Amino acid sequence: MKKIEIAPSTKTGFHHWLSQRVSAVALIPLIIWLVLSLVEIALDPEGYLPVFFAYPFNAFMAILLFSTSFYHGSLGMRVIIEDYVTNKAKVHFYIMLINFISITTATAVIIAILKLHLIN
Amino acid sequence: MSDHKINNRPTSPHLQIYRWNISSITSIMHRLTGVALYFSILAIAWFIVYYTYNIGSISEKENCECLTMTIINTLFYGAIIAITFSLYYHFCNGIRHLFWDIGKGFDLKKAKLNSYLVIITSLLLTIATIATTIYLKIF
Repeated sequence: MKKIEIAPSTKTGFHHWLSQRVSAVALIPLIIWLVLSLVEIALDPEGYLPVFFAYPFNAFMAILLFSTSFYHGSLGMRVIIEDYVTNKAKVHFYIMLINFISITTATAVIIAILKLHLIN
Repeated sequence: MSDHKINNRPTSPHLQIYRWNISSITSIMHRLTGVALYFSILAIAWFIVYYTYNIGSISEKENCECLTMTIINTLFYGAIIAITFSLYYHFCNGIRHLFWDIGKGFDLKKAKLNSYLVIITSLLLTIATIATTIYLKIF
């Protein structure tokens, strides 16, 4: 039988596993807040939506929601890339791409929420 | 598969090898909904950025009675329903995974039972959300 070459452990697996779980626990109250505030928006879309981020608590929770979900999302996408992409160079490239997209989008959306918070 | 031959590295076994059962379906759905949610949160984030810097132009709604708009609207509502379901499913199944991590509900019988529970709960929550939205829009 042919010997299979096993990639050596990078010893970062446990940290990844724990971060995924901690961010998942943090997302539970944030998702409940999201669903409840979407119902609130549905009650009065024209009146409430433009001033939604003017409320400090909404801006606070939205920024936490976006940063935590982008963190959780990039960790999850990393696992999927590692499982289904076979080429090692491609794996590293896609992980970097996902991290790049997550960090830039999170930064852009946080700036936008802060702007909506301050102009209202 | 050509990449596989060059690299000679083992990967996670692909889906088509296995016989379908409830635990594999919930597992792959957790991944699929996760990917769907990642891309939808990207879209929502960039929409908020667009909305912030184009507040004047976005309020001018163009009412077009043409077929393309109807198709786009239908797809849009379909996407919203799919995202809602994905969110509830990933939320419920994520909680199940967290319970597994602390060592609860992992035996075969319980795991099978609560996978049905997760699917039914997320479907019911989706229906409840759509019903609430329709109710609030009518009254």
